Amino acid sequence: MEVTEVTYATEFTEVFTTKAGAIYQCDNESCWYIDFAGKLARFDYRCLLKLNKAINVIDIEKRLLDSSSPDMEIIFICACDDTYVLTLTQIIAFKELLQGTFVMLELNNIICTRLYRTAV
Amino acid sequence: MKDIIRVQSLLSVGVEAAINQQIKKEAQSSSIYLAMASWCDRNGFDNSADYFFKQSEEERAHQLKFYKYVLDMGGTAISPEVTNIKIEYNSFREVFEDALEQEVSVTESIKAIAARCHKEQDYVTLEFLNWFFKEQREEEYKARRALELFDVIGEAGTGRWEIDHHVSKIKYDNE
Ligand SMILES: [Fe+2]
Ligand SMILES: [Fe+2]
Repeated sequence: MEVTEVTYATEFTEVFTTKAGAIYQCDNESCWYIDFAGKLARFDYRCLLKLNKAINVIDIEKRLLDSSSPDMEIIFICACDDTYVLTLTQIIAFKELLQGTFVMLELNNIICTRLYRTAV
Repeated sequence: MKDIIRVQSLLSVGVEAAINQQIKKEAQSSSIYLAMASWCDRNGFDNSADYFFKQSEEERAHQLKFYKYVLDMGGTAISPEVTNIKIEYNSFREVFEDALEQEVSVTESIKAIAARCHKEQDYVTLEFLNWFFKEQREEEYKARRALELFDVIGEAGTGRWEIDHHVSKIKYDNE
């Protein structure tokens, strides 16, 4: 996967990886880096949630059945720096990547709470 | 690895979405009451018009209470779009029937949020919702009492004038 936007070295923790891409967390910047569709893009908390929502509202089944719908989709997230132009196959792969990421983040939340936050 | 999401916001994605839905519902209630005030005023029921103007303001206050809670907890409050508000009613009674139906649906919707909070052990939001449960007790009581006036007074003769007169006296003072 081609890396185009890394400007300085930061410590990344891999959150979730699939064949199509990967998502890393950067604790120093409190954000995530998404390596997908040939670029590495930075997402903060709000943008990551918005991206996930934007991908999830796409009705893939309907797109597959409807021959008049376009093959490409522009994912533009308001107030976020990056835009994606994705094919249907890429959207499916992106969805999988994000789903896995949110499961891992939820797991991390459980671990943090159980290990460090609760007294009992 | 830092728990960034939890640090940013107390609300889960699901609870935040549910409260944003409720914000819309309160805004709709406010608009509906405003429409009722308009109808009552146009048809000569001045006391009822005043009653609904007040209700409309209360619903706006509820909307803002939810709105500020979402923001205070680190979430994104969404200003809702309100459409399809009825203008005409078939009868004076229908106005009050709709009002009660609206309050019932608000109570049920807040109950559904609370059920979700229980599931997620979001006791903070649950505690916040308690204020609304108490409020709904009053709201349903008042709406139900108003409708009851139609039966105890009756609409015949000067009945509707009498009902309108009594609507302004409805109050709930059971703590
Ligand atoms: Fe309300
Ligand atoms: Fe109400």
